[in-house]
Amino acid sequence: MRKIVGDILHIDLSQGSWWREPVSKEMVRRYLGGRGINTRLLWDLVKPGTDPLGPENALIFGTGLLTGSGAPSSGRTTVTCLSPATNLYLKTSGGGHWGAELKYAGFGHLVIHGGAEHPVYLWIDGDSVEIHDASALWGLDVRATDSAIKKELRDENIETAIIGPAGENLVRFASVMFSVYNAAGRGGAGAVMGSKNLKAIAVRGSGTVVPAQPQRFQELVRQARASLAADSGYKDLGRYGTSGSLNSVNELRVLPSYNFKRSFLDDVYPLTGQNLTNSGYLKRRSACFSCIIACHRYSTVGRGSFAGAHAGGPEYETMSALGSGCGVIDTEAVIKANELCNIYGLDTISTGSVIQWAMESYEKDVIGSKELDGLDLRWGNGQAMVEMVQKIAFRQGFGDLLAEGVKRAAERTGGESYKWAVQAKGLEQSRVDTRSAKSYALAFAVNPRGSDHLHTEAFAEFGMSPEARQLIKKITGDEKYANPYLTEKRAEIVRWHEDCYSVTDALGFCAFATTALYGISPQIMAELFSAATGMEFTEEDILWAGRRILTQEKCYNVSLGADRKDDTLPWRLMHEPTPNQPDTTAINSKEELDGLLDEYYTLHEWDVNSGKPTKNILEKLDLADVAAELFKAGYIA
Amino acid sequence: MERGITVIPQLCTGCEQCALTCSFVHESVYAPSLSRVKVVKFADKCLNVPVTCAYCEQPVCEEVCPVQAITHDPITGAAKVAADICLGCKECVNACPLGAIELHPQKGIAMRCDLCGGDPSCVKQCPAGALRYEPLEHAVSEKRRARVVGWNLE
Repeated sequence: MRKIVGDILHIDLSQGSWWREPVSKEMVRRYLGGRGINTRLLWDLVKPGTDPLGPENALIFGTGLLTGSGAPSSGRTTVTCLSPATNLYLKTSGGGHWGAELKYAGFGHLVIHGGAEHPVYLWIDGDSVEIHDASALWGLDVRATDSAIKKELRDENIETAIIGPAGENLVRFASVMFSVYNAAGRGGAGAVMGSKNLKAIAVRGSGTVVPAQPQRFQELVRQARASLAADSGYKDLGRYGTSGSLNSVNELRVLPSYNFKRSFLDDVYPLTGQNLTNSGYLKRRSACFSCIIACHRYSTVGRGSFAGAHAGGPEYETMSALGSGCGVIDTEAVIKANELCNIYGLDTISTGSVIQWAMESYEKDVIGSKELDGLDLRWGNGQAMVEMVQKIAFRQGFGDLLAEGVKRAAERTGGESYKWAVQAKGLEQSRVDTRSAKSYALAFAVNPRGSDHLHTEAFAEFGMSPEARQLIKKITGDEKYANPYLTEKRAEIVRWHEDCYSVTDALGFCAFATTALYGISPQIMAELFSAATGMEFTEEDILWAGRRILTQEKCYNVSLGADRKDDTLPWRLMHEPTPNQPDTTAINSKEELDGLLDEYYTLHEWDVNSGKPTKNILEKLDLADVAAELFKAGYIA
Repeated sequence: MERGITVIPQLCTGCEQCALTCSFVHESVYAPSLSRVKVVKFADKCLNVPVTCAYCEQPVCEEVCPVQAITHDPITGAAKVAADICLGCKECVNACPLGAIELHPQKGIAMRCDLCGGDPSCVKQCPAGALRYEPLEHAVSEKRRARVVGWNLE
């Protein structure tokens, strides 16, 4: 099993030391791999009261259990730490090729302890681990850093994980970038890396990944590929990328626009993947390791004021955050802003969100052009948006405030500005208008890391494909629940997706392969897990393990004092209705959310009043040790 | 040789399914380092180019081998490295101008594409259509046609 899961590499930057720890079979049985093992490591290593940006925080990288194998779309890496945005649990996941390379070096997980006194980067070359001086790299953008490291180590095929200036400057939504353009974007893991003076992790591996039952595994790989390629959405996701869905999301009236003041754009086309392709911005399609979909883009701008811009993306979330959200219906401005986010190492969702908030504050005269150093930050001003991205990364002028994230920015600005700070738990909401999508609303509210879709991608509730409607029928017993305006059965839909998403992340799969396309089913994941490890798991077994992972994450937040009142949605979405159809409006009212939460906690067998898991369910989930600690600390009865 | 592997780099997405299947078919493990087809990456431009044996009409690797360990089937073109004969002397590695033959990192013998005996797995598994196994003339004629398509002659 060691040949599939790899060892844990611990590196203590304060001591300049490293050591290897094998992963026990018991750990794999309980937590599967990737995100699952990461969350247990965080629970064991980072205790309540830790400063997210201090040396006591750990930065944990976990490749998926199957990363490095031939399983399609299984190349993702989860980064886990205490978040400097939310002061709560954070897992954030990225694609690219870095995780597979780490696995081939013999390591499935990497734990960074402590912090270096001066800038360093790590060079993991198979069994050899070195800490190199990075003084000359500090201040360089991600692209320049990647190229400098490859030059220094004289190998162009090395894989890198890098922070840009934003991570160095402790921007609370700085990303960790893999393979140059693949971001672990949300929640500020890049700032944690920056706080440790760790500029980059370069990896080269020439080892092997071997399942316990190789022939059975390879046959399952064949089946998984066929099943994924047969999904009705498969071709379009490759052809138009994630931004190919902007138009249909807009038609559903859930495309956040103008800082969630609207959920619909009259002219969405310039922001769509169809436009990227048809107008010649798309130069190439690009895939993460082992992925047969290839949804990633490489886009360039050939002329105009942003000529020369080139980068991976923009993705759906970026087109919405920096495009529709800022009223910048300008393909080229978004490509440029996306490039800067990539090379400075900024999460595009949060970056777009704080700029929208500033645009609305400017419109409402809460901030003036004086605070903005003369920048005319009105809706739709693409040039001003691009300049603000730069100011955020380098914490210049007003960018210094925005670099704190929208929650802190609104707190410091005061007045009513919190009302249009669209965040919950301190995380800027990702790009779905949850007022017209009730599974998303519940999923966002209960997400341990804050208001986004990446613990539970409940896209199926829209019923946009035959596979989605079939899945809703499987979960709820009736296709009619594939209706995002209904509040019935949302808890069931969310919990199923939580379970499935945990397994997805733990094995290294991409959520697009399991819960947007549905080709890689939990059944297939269970069989691949069984063939990989030699431990026979059914679909039910593996989803149960997924629930254990999610519950463990929840317990981490409970140990930090979080409870039901933290499971909420942004103020605007709970107080201001949005038109969703010509003659109706939608809102996430408190009553509605309370009803959804009651059902959700009940379904989970958690305590409805406090929103915390009970001792009973924790013991059922084989988390008695976690229950004991929470009981001792007085958090559960 | 009737057919060969042709590469259309514009279509390659860099997923490395070719390398994964190659290493599995030949070694029963997943390891791009043991693959006979390697993806050359330019990460900053999301550009990926698979490179494998070109099946030269004058195979210098075979010519320089002091013990004739490397041969190919005159009909299918499929190459063979005789594991019991190969010395691991690296003459072939040094002679190949294309970087398409290297030393097996564990076995210490020459590692060269064998076309999977005439039905190359990398081509079958490429999801992007970037690898083809076809008569060379097909690839050439397609390029020729692509070149004149934009001339607007009608």
